[in-house]
Amino acid sequence: MSSTPVPPSSPSAAHGEGQHANHNLTGFIIFLCSESVIFLAFFSGYAILRLAALDWLPAGVDGLEWRMPLINTVVLVSSSFTMVLAEHFKGKGKIWLFRGFWLLTMAMGAYFLYGQAVEWSGLTFGFTSGTFGGTFYLLTGFHGLHVLTGILLMGLMLAKSFVPGNYDGGEQGVIATSLFWHFVDVIWIILFVLLYVWRA
Amino acid sequence: MTSTALSPEPPASWRRYFGFSTDAKVIGIQYIVVAFFFFLVGGLLAMIMRGELITPEADLVDRTVYNGLYTMHGTIMLFLFIFPVLNGLNNLLIPTMIGAPDMAFPRLNTAAFWLVPVFGILLIASFFLPSGPATSGWWSYPPVSLQNPLGHLINGEFLWVLAVALSGVSSIMGAVNFVTTILRMRAPGMGLFRMPVFCWTALAAQTLQLIGLPALTGGAVMLLLDLSVGTSFYRPEGGGDPVLYQHFFWFYSHPAVYVIILPVFGIFSELFPVYSRKPLFGYVYVCLASFIIVGLGLIVWVHHMFPSGVTQWMRNLFMVTTMLIAVPTGVKVFAWLGTLWGGKIRLTTPMLFCLGGLFNFVFAGITGIMLATVPIDIHVSNTYFVVGHFHYVIYGAAVMGVFAAIYHWFPKFTGRMPYEGLGKLHCLLTFVGANLSFLPMHPMGLMGMPRRVSSYDPEFAFWNVLASLGGFLLGVSIIPFLLNMISSWARGPKAPHNPWNAIGLEWLLPSPPAEDNFGEHVPTVISRPYGYGTGEPLVEHQADIERALTLQEAIR
Amino acid sequence: MTSSTPRRPGPIALAALAIWIGLLVAISLWVARASYGWLPVQASNAAPLVDGLFSFETGIGTFVFLGVISVMAWVMLVHRAEKYDESDAEPIEGNTRLEVIWTAIPFVLVMAIAWYAIQINTELGVLGPMEHIHLRDSQEQQGGYPGDRLPAEQVEVIARQWSWEFRYPSQHVSSTELHLELNRPITFRLVSEDVLHGFFIPAFRLKQDVIPGRAIDFSLTPTRLGRYRLRDSQFSGTWFAANQADVVVETAEDHGLWLKQAAAAPLQSGLSVAAAEYTEQQTNPRGGWPTVVPAPPPQVNVPGSSSLPHDA
Repeated sequence: MSSTPVPPSSPSAAHGEGQHANHNLTGFIIFLCSESVIFLAFFSGYAILRLAALDWLPAGVDGLEWRMPLINTVVLVSSSFTMVLAEHFKGKGKIWLFRGFWLLTMAMGAYFLYGQAVEWSGLTFGFTSGTFGGTFYLLTGFHGLHVLTGILLMGLMLAKSFVPGNYDGGEQGVIATSLFWHFVDVIWIILFVLLYVWRA
Repeated sequence: MTSTALSPEPPASWRRYFGFSTDAKVIGIQYIVVAFFFFLVGGLLAMIMRGELITPEADLVDRTVYNGLYTMHGTIMLFLFIFPVLNGLNNLLIPTMIGAPDMAFPRLNTAAFWLVPVFGILLIASFFLPSGPATSGWWSYPPVSLQNPLGHLINGEFLWVLAVALSGVSSIMGAVNFVTTILRMRAPGMGLFRMPVFCWTALAAQTLQLIGLPALTGGAVMLLLDLSVGTSFYRPEGGGDPVLYQHFFWFYSHPAVYVIILPVFGIFSELFPVYSRKPLFGYVYVCLASFIIVGLGLIVWVHHMFPSGVTQWMRNLFMVTTMLIAVPTGVKVFAWLGTLWGGKIRLTTPMLFCLGGLFNFVFAGITGIMLATVPIDIHVSNTYFVVGHFHYVIYGAAVMGVFAAIYHWFPKFTGRMPYEGLGKLHCLLTFVGANLSFLPMHPMGLMGMPRRVSSYDPEFAFWNVLASLGGFLLGVSIIPFLLNMISSWARGPKAPHNPWNAIGLEWLLPSPPAEDNFGEHVPTVISRPYGYGTGEPLVEHQADIERALTLQEAIR
Repeated sequence: MTSSTPRRPGPIALAALAIWIGLLVAISLWVARASYGWLPVQASNAAPLVDGLFSFETGIGTFVFLGVISVMAWVMLVHRAEKYDESDAEPIEGNTRLEVIWTAIPFVLVMAIAWYAIQINTELGVLGPMEHIHLRDSQEQQGGYPGDRLPAEQVEVIARQWSWEFRYPSQHVSSTELHLELNRPITFRLVSEDVLHGFFIPAFRLKQDVIPGRAIDFSLTPTRLGRYRLRDSQFSGTWFAANQADVVVETAEDHGLWLKQAAAAPLQSGLSVAAAEYTEQQTNPRGGWPTVVPAPPPQVNVPGSSSLPHDA
C-alpha cells in the first residue's frame, strides 16, 4: 500500500483553513477510489471477454462449484459487521472488546483465504486455460492479495493498540483499515456475482 | 504580524539536490533536472530517427533498431520527461501557491520521485539486453508486443511493461499527494474560488491520473501475464481479444494528454495576466472549464480506435464527445485572448513562450477536430497527420508552456535571474524548429504516409527533409536553454522576491523560499488571484510583508 | 472577437473590422478550395465525400485559426506596454455575455460539424456487417484458394508478417497485387494470420484494421483507373514499413482478361520485401536486434510488381 501514514512533521502543519490533521484519511480515501478503478478494469475486461467468447468454458470444465465460495462469502461479509462492532467498542473506550472483535475479523479474513486456497487446489483448470482460467485466477488472486493486505494492516493496528496513549489524538489507522476492509468486501460481492452467480 | 515569515535564506548547499530530501522545492528541482536529462536522451533518439527518415530507404539503422528507437523515444518523452517535469512544477508551485509548508505526505513524495530514476534506468537498460528494447511502440498493442523472438523471460517488452507499471505507481503516489495537499492545506481564506488556476488545473489533471491510470495498470498487468506467464487475455489463439487492450490503453492514454495539457493551460492562465497587467478574464469559467474537460476527457477514448473495428454508433457517439471538448477548451482560449486584449503587454521570455505555445495549441486544436471527425480520421489515423497533431500539442504547446513556467519561476526557486537574451533566442529557435519539424508532417499524413515507418515511398521525401531539418533545429534549440540555466543559476544576478511584479502567495516569499515556506506565519488570503490593476491586496498585511522582504533584500 | 472594453468602437473601427473579417473569410474559402490538392487523387466513391468534409473543416479551421492569431498579433502590436511603463492595465475581470457567446458559438459549430460528419458516415457505410468468425486452422500456406468459405463476389485479403495476399475464390486465383474492376462494388474479407495489420489505400480514403481471430467484411467501389498503393497502417513489427502492395484499378475487359490469364498461370512465390531483405541479411548481416522471421512469400498465380510508378 502506498499510503504509509506520515504524521504531520512540523507543528506548522496544523494551521490554516480547517484542520489539517486528517490528511492521512483524505489521502487514503483518494487512494481507495483510484484502486477501485483497477478492479473496474478487470471486471469490464472479464465481462467483455466472456460476452464475446464462443465457448467460454474450457473443454472438460462444467462451471464453478458455488457452495464452498458461498460459505466463504458469508464469512467475509460477516467480518465487516464484526469490524463495525470492534470500532463501536473502541469508540466507547472498551479497548479489550475492540481487540477481541478485531481479532475475530482477522480470523474470518484468514478463513476466507484458506477457503480460497482449498478451492484453487481442487480446480481442474489453470491460469493458462484460455480466457476463462485467466480471468478467474486474475480476479480471485488480485482480490486475495487485497484480503491478505487487509489482514496485515489489521495486525499492525492491533499491535499499535498496545502502544500507550495511541488513541488520544484520534486514530486514523483504524478508520482507514476498516474502510479498506469494507472496500475489499464490496469488491468480493461484485466478484462473486460475476464469477459464480452469472451463468451462461 | 510584522517581519515574520522571513527566516534567513537556506544554506545554498547543492548537496541536498542529490539526496533523499523531503522538501517539495528540492524534489521539484530534482524532478525537473532528471526530466531534462531524459529529455536529452529522448531527443537524441528523435535525432537519429529524423536522420533515418531524411532519405526514403531504410539505410541509417536496421529496421529493428528504428522500431526500438521510436518506441523508446515515445516512452521516454512521455513517462520520463513530460510527466516528471510537470510533477516537478507541481512540487514547486502547489505548496508555495496555496501557502502550505510542504506536500501533505513528504515521504511519499520522496518515494514517488526516486521511482523515476529507477524505472528510467530499467527502461534504458533494455537497450543492452540480447533481445533489444521494446519495439512495438509506446502503445505496445498486442499481439505484436507479445512476440518474443528470442524467448527470453527478461526481454525488452518485459522491462518496458515493468517500467510503465512503476511509472504508474509513482504517478498515483504523486496524484494522491497533490490532490490531498490542494484539498486540505490551503492558506486561511483561500477558498477553492480564490485558488490560482494552476492549482485548479493540477487538481483536474491529478484527478484524471487517479481515475485513468489504474485502468492502464490493469491492462498492463494482463499484458505482462500474457507475455511472461502464457495466459491469453489478448491472444486470439487462446480466445483472447487484442482490441480489449486498446480500450484499456486509451481509456488512460487519451486522458493522459489532458494530464499534460491541463497544467499547461494553468501556466498560460498564470502568466498571461502577469505580462498583460490585467486580471484573468472570466476566472471562474476558466476554473470550471478544467473540470468539464476532465469529465469529457474520460469518455472520448474510442476516437483512437475508429479503424479498429468498432461499430458505427460507437464511432458517432465518441466523435460527438470528442468534439464537445472543443467547447471548454475554447472558453479557455477566449479567456486568454480576453486577458491580453487591452492589456499592457510585456514581451518577456516567458510571455513569448506562452504566446508561441498558444499559437501552436490553436493549430493543434483545429487538426484535433479533424481527427475527431470519423470519415477524416479513417483516412489520416495512423499516418503522420496524427504524429504532427500530437507533436503540436505536446511540443508546440506543452513543452513551450513548460519552458515559459521555468523562465517565469526560475528566480523564485533558485534566487537568480535567467538571462533574457539567451531566453529569447531559445524561444525563437524552439518556435521555428517546432513548426518546421511538425507542420510538414500534416501534408505527409494527408498524402498517406503511415507513422512508425523506417522507409517510405519517394513521393514523401520533400516533406520529410523539411521535417528532419526542423528536428535538427529543435536539437540545436536546447543549447541556449541549457547554457542559460547553468550559467544563470551559477552566477546570474540575484533575484528579488518579486521580479515580475506578479500577484500570488509564492511572490510573497523570499527568493528562494525557506524550507517550510511561510512557516507558522501563513498570510490570510482576502481576495481573488490576479488582482492586477484593482489595487486590492491579495492577503492581509500585504504591505508589511512586502516591506519586510524588500528590506531583507536591501541588506543582503 | 470584438472589443470588450466599455468604450464604444467608432464607425471607422467597425468598418475596418468588417473588412478584416471579410478578408479572413476570403482567405479561408481559398484555403478550403486548395485543401483538395493536399490529398491524393480520388479513386473511390468514398473519396469525394471525405474530401468535401475535409475541405469544409479546413475552411472553418482556417477562419478560427486566423481569427485567434489576428487578435494575438493585434495585441502584440497595439497593446504593448510603453518602455518604463510599470503600471497595470484597466482591470476587466470578465463579461458573462461574452462567455455565453463564446461557449454557444463553438458548441453550435462543433455540433454542426458532427451532424454533417454523421451524415457522411451513414452515406459511406464504411463497415459492412462485422462478423466474428473464428478462423479455421489454415492449411493454406501452399496452393491456391480452396474456395469453400466465401461468396463468389468477395475477395479475401490475407495479411501476414509481412506480405499481403489477395484471393479471388470463384476464379481460383491468388495474387500479391490487388486487381479491381472499375466502378464495381467489391467486398473484401480481411483476415490476419499473426498480428494486427491495417488495410489502408490512401487513394480510396479507406482504412480498416485487420484483426487476428476475426474476419471483417469491408466494401468499397473504385472509381478511377490507375495504380495505387496499399499500405499496412497498424504497426506490425520489423518490416511494417515494407508491408505494401499495389492496387490496380482496371476496366471490366482488362480485369476479366487478367483473371483468365492469372488462373492459367502456375503458382510461384509472391512479393515479399521482408522475406527478400531477411534472406539478404542472413548472408550479409547489418546488426540490429533479433526479429520475428518473416512468413515465407505466399504461393500465388501472379506476384505482380511493387516497383512500377503509382498514382497515389
